[in-house]
Amino acid sequence: MRQQYARRTQVLTSVMGFIALAIIVQMTRIQNSPEAAIFRQQASNYAYILHTFYPDRGEIYDRNGHLLAGNKSVYEVGVDLNTVKNPQAIATAVSVQLGMDYSKILSAILAPPESLSYIVLADFVEADKAVNLQELKKAMQDQAEEGTRGGLTGLEFKSHPQRSYPENSLASNVIGFVSREGRGYFGIEEKYDTLLAGNPVQTLVPTDPNKAFEIPRVLNGTTLVLTINRDLQASAEKILDEALTTYGADNGTIVVMDPRNGELLAMAATPRMDLNQFWNYGTIYKNATDFNPAISKPYEPGSVTKILTMAAALDSGTVTPGTTYLDTGSILVGGALIQNWNQEPWGVQDMTGCLQHSLNVCMATISAQMGAGIFYSYMDNFGFGHLTGVDLAGEAAGRLKLPGDADWYPVDLGTNAFGQGVSATPIQIMMAASSIANHGRTVTPHALYAMVRDGRQYDVPAQFAGSPISGQTADILSNMLSVSLESEGSLALVPGYRIAGKTGTAQIPVDGFYDSTQTNASFIGWGPVDDPQFMIYVWLERPSASIWGSETAAPVFGQMAEKAVILLDIPPDAIRQQIVAK
Amino acid sequence: MNIQNVNHLVHAYKIAPWRIQRQWIGNVLLMVVALAMVATLYLDVTSQAGITGREIQDLTASISASQQASADLQTQLASLTSARVMEQRALDLGFRPMESGEAEYLVVPGYSVLEPDILSSAPLLQLSKLTIPPEYNESLLDWMDKKIVTSSRGIQ
Repeated sequence: MRQQYARRTQVLTSVMGFIALAIIVQMTRIQNSPEAAIFRQQASNYAYILHTFYPDRGEIYDRNGHLLAGNKSVYEVGVDLNTVKNPQAIATAVSVQLGMDYSKILSAILAPPESLSYIVLADFVEADKAVNLQELKKAMQDQAEEGTRGGLTGLEFKSHPQRSYPENSLASNVIGFVSREGRGYFGIEEKYDTLLAGNPVQTLVPTDPNKAFEIPRVLNGTTLVLTINRDLQASAEKILDEALTTYGADNGTIVVMDPRNGELLAMAATPRMDLNQFWNYGTIYKNATDFNPAISKPYEPGSVTKILTMAAALDSGTVTPGTTYLDTGSILVGGALIQNWNQEPWGVQDMTGCLQHSLNVCMATISAQMGAGIFYSYMDNFGFGHLTGVDLAGEAAGRLKLPGDADWYPVDLGTNAFGQGVSATPIQIMMAASSIANHGRTVTPHALYAMVRDGRQYDVPAQFAGSPISGQTADILSNMLSVSLESEGSLALVPGYRIAGKTGTAQIPVDGFYDSTQTNASFIGWGPVDDPQFMIYVWLERPSASIWGSETAAPVFGQMAEKAVILLDIPPDAIRQQIVAK
Repeated sequence: MNIQNVNHLVHAYKIAPWRIQRQWIGNVLLMVVALAMVATLYLDVTSQAGITGREIQDLTASISASQQASADLQTQLASLTSARVMEQRALDLGFRPMESGEAEYLVVPGYSVLEPDILSSAPLLQLSKLTIPPEYNESLLDWMDKKIVTSSRGIQ
């Protein structure tokens, strides 16, 4: 009996052992079969997903923390063709909500290109419309019988960020815009495109949750803080728009800069565009130079250049403020006759009188006394013909013809002295004039105040671009310009504040000849003279109410300066001097 | 019963075939139980690691969504407080732009001029992969594999 049990046990053990062995053999065989290798290969294909992480574009703030450019969510609306239940319902909902053509949507769903399982119906859909569609999809799913799919099943939504400009057209010429491809155009958006956009990271992301720690951390783009003061910018734009209407000018520019460090506080120009509708660019602007004329549209500035000629003459010792000369109303330079703006003689004048009455003959006389070598050396040092290096995309250098150039003639020495035959942008003239306002030191204009990256803020230091004149010359000339404005009772003056400045009225060359009916009216000025805290440049193109800068650009400067002293908290001179004395 | 018989019985008990079989069965069962315990432990740790990993993936997606929502709200807030809107609200409330002559300046001892905002000055705390010790992210098999590799290197 015991032997029988023993035999049965042995047989059972053998059978079980055999089965176990067979299982092990089969497992080993399957593990090492060619099919297993294929399956492993297939599995490895799903182990990682190649994913490109696009960091959020950095934001842009004004100097007081107001958001000028941010990001908002928009949606890509598409259809998962594998799960579509009711194409007609999807076509109806999307066409009604997004204003698209019903038949096109339907045909796209019913006859998609081969091998596609997902099609995009619309991209950059505003969040409110996408949310409406999502709610409709949910409502239809709720209404569907239990276990069945809703009518909009298959309609998919993917959100992604898009550039948004909460101030719409404010400072549009400074900020620039970003295309749907994520590339910056013009202004800050183009100049700092690489910094703002951040570095896209393409990497294999594990689907295995045990490898979640391998998900890369992508740094967002650098946030930029501008030197622009939003409120001053808004005021500048408002004043400029009113000036265009009042004086019938085609276009205009107002730039406000801190002459102590080159910070651009406001830069208004016309026309402007709503940056949220950047696709209107082509209809608003004829040329790229029109986007921000302050930096990219050189023109003959006219008499505002006289302050630089006078600076050169004073600094080189050619004249002193008290030097007098007899103005006969005309002078022959290089065989060409140069006349005053009113073609009249002004008699004996000192250098302040030259500036006050804006005498071309005086300036031509001074430049002739200096000689081409000294005069052009100073003009070169002031930055004519060179880029200022302002950190906005699209800057133009203008042109200063020099002796030896094929198109330079001796008469140019005379005409260049009062701003004819030389082209420059407003920002170039401001940079040059900053040496007068800033005790001889030229500042580099810039719009970037600071960068914020990875939780740290990096402030941008002021940059100086040399000292073309001495501090003494600068102070003397500032005083002369202030006296000349006060003597003529300029419309640029601001009660309570001592201002230095100069008008400019430049005829516009048409077909090689200067048209006396079309002018560029300009004004450059700064204040308070003893401690300049703002420098303002006004340029009105072809004003029709008056061709003279003193009657158009000067009062616009006055308005802007009055607004600047309020918004920049600059007390009147008397109070400020009392405060300093205490 | 004398002492010889007792010794004989004890000896017979010790060498009984069924007793040896039971010892074998006991040892095998002990090994099976030990293996089952290790397998259970491994399964538990692996599943916990898997769940945690999935939570990390979800939280990463959640952080991304929150950041996007925050950016949306920030932009909306900026639109609602834009220069044009604020000016209109001020006008509606009966305010008007100030003229330069209307400003009254007072000397306030100790007051310093407001500087532009500092948006950020301190780095954010960040989790780094390097700060997580291997005990928290390697599986039992990884650990055994590492030990085998380490010991084999030691032998070489």
